[in-house]
Amino acid sequence: MEVGRLPISASQRGKLISAGYTTLSSLSSLSPSDLARDLNIPDGEAVEILKVASLTNRLDKPDGSHAIVNGAQTAWDMLHEEQLFPRLTTSCADMDGILGGGINCKEVTEIGGVPGIGKTQLGIQLAVNVQIPVDYGGLGGKAIYIDTEGSFMVERALQIAEACVVDMSEYNDLLRKGNRSCQVKVQPNDILENIFYFRICSYTEQMALINYLDKFISEHKDVKIVIVDSVTFHFRQDFEDLALRTRLLSGMALKLMNLARNYNLAVVIFNQVTTKYIEGSFQLALALGDSWSHSCTNRVILYWNGDERYAYIDKSPSLRSASAPFAVTSKGIRNSASNSWPSGISIENTSPRSSSIRSG
Amino acid sequence: MGLTPENLLRRPITTQKCTLGCPVLDRCLAGGIPCNSVTELVAESGCGKTQLCLQLALSAQLPLSHGGLSASSLYIHTELPFPYRRLQQLSRTFHHPHSVLRCNPCDSIFVHAVHNADQLLDIMPHIESFLAEPKTQLPIKLIVIDSIAALFRSEFDNTPSDLKRRSSLFFKISGKLKSLAKRFSLAVVVTNQVVDFIGENDGINGMRPGNLSSLYSSGRRVCPALGLAWSNCVNSRLFLSRNEEVIGEDKALADTCDRDYLCRQTRRQLYVVFAPHLPESSCEFVISKEGVFGVER
Repeated sequence: MEVGRLPISASQRGKLISAGYTTLSSLSSLSPSDLARDLNIPDGEAVEILKVASLTNRLDKPDGSHAIVNGAQTAWDMLHEEQLFPRLTTSCADMDGILGGGINCKEVTEIGGVPGIGKTQLGIQLAVNVQIPVDYGGLGGKAIYIDTEGSFMVERALQIAEACVVDMSEYNDLLRKGNRSCQVKVQPNDILENIFYFRICSYTEQMALINYLDKFISEHKDVKIVIVDSVTFHFRQDFEDLALRTRLLSGMALKLMNLARNYNLAVVIFNQVTTKYIEGSFQLALALGDSWSHSCTNRVILYWNGDERYAYIDKSPSLRSASAPFAVTSKGIRNSASNSWPSGISIENTSPRSSSIRSG
Repeated sequence: MGLTPENLLRRPITTQKCTLGCPVLDRCLAGGIPCNSVTELVAESGCGKTQLCLQLALSAQLPLSHGGLSASSLYIHTELPFPYRRLQQLSRTFHHPHSVLRCNPCDSIFVHAVHNADQLLDIMPHIESFLAEPKTQLPIKLIVIDSIAALFRSEFDNTPSDLKRRSSLFFKISGKLKSLAKRFSLAVVVTNQVVDFIGENDGINGMRPGNLSSLYSSGRRVCPALGLAWSNCVNSRLFLSRNEEVIGEDKALADTCDRDYLCRQTRRQLYVVFAPHLPESSCEFVISKEGVFGVER
């Protein structure tokens, strides 16, 4: 009986039940005066009861009213909830396609690839895209960028932010036929300001920061993505005790997973690739070993296919494995067809030597 | 270290760069070698790695208005002897046109020899205290390590355990360099050698680091030494190539170039293999008595 859970006095509860009000929904559309009449209590008391009831009702909602254990959810509710939340676009429609619409909130997504494939570029792109306002189909949130390698470049972030603002105004013009009253209010500088940037120089700093994130995010609830670029770097230096490394890493993964769930945000962590000796030959594998590979919900591998960059869904509970091409352009991550940097910087592909370099 | 985030707007909107001492090369690299970052110069011997590093150590002393860092530099060399005479030569031609430098530029380049990786790690604390309390006229803002590959030339076998030990050293050295770079806003440049690429044409295509599907120098297909693990340790990678050319075959080209260039039979090219802030690009350059200069075409 739902009213049994209401934090009200026993006599009030008794009156409610005997008057036939047993469920919270039966109280939801009731006026205080009606309730006062039915229960034979003063109007003020009835107002209090309804207030408590609606509060309880609201608290119950996200957890699912059918749940037996507090905090548990039915799969139906979860599906419903998942459909409610927009996904975070990568700005590459093909990559969004294989990701089921983009990076999912509440999940940890690991992205790995060789140096120069565009991991940091994708990280900066996501830190910018998370700020696309809700009106434009975005999350309208802020980003935490944890830079462990020092590859984050402000000028590049600004470049990507500027391109994002241009895209938004184009979208605005198309959708609203150039209605001047709803101009894009976001400025590239605002986008930079809403990236909380942490530069980490050792694994102890990295652990400390991840531990502190819970507090930080509870004070900054509008953070919608945590990016770690890369999780790997400081864990590949001189770890004598590999068991310790595994423990630290899995503890960190658990904390990131909790952050993703509790604060309803996306966690994206980047990993490096390494060569692994399997059955007499060296093969490419993501770093940090086998036990780490269980730590993330989704795993995306970026790789070269000829002269084109591809993303591949390596592991996901809900997505089928698929690959899609993407490109790194002056504007950021984009679909592969539009693959071109501006020619402002002297690119010499005219000489035979240069072209022979590209022909491998 | 900080548990408070950095406001990106409070940073200069473009990362501070150190000029290479040539506007054409600077344009190719969007201003030069970035601070707070580790940049790798990969090339076979005789391509101009050391030339470029020496020139960089000199141009770092230029004032900010001239694209320099107004700073001295620390030059860690592994090959003996250190090319003092060439530095002297460069500094003379360098010193003269830029009267902004008052004293002898060689006085602001600190040179140290290192022979293996452990030795480099051993002197790191000294470097750190040297950087923290500079006894120099200009603060140190540039560290050059020429070359990183030479530190790992011996002492390591091709066994899994040795390779593992070696790559953990890579990450240790790089971690240390990056944290110094961040703490003191240093530009760090390391040079690396190449090894011949042996294997199928597309065999390791999936693991190629960077924009170029293959690197060619002196007509051979090469790849940077120290493997994939080390590639993860640098922020940017530049590749210098040289290829011999028969003069007179291309008359149109010969006409556009000056006499100095014509006597040389080598065409040199600088490529951005990967860099977080740069597109894939390249630039031809020449090495003359006066230094390393990009060629605009």
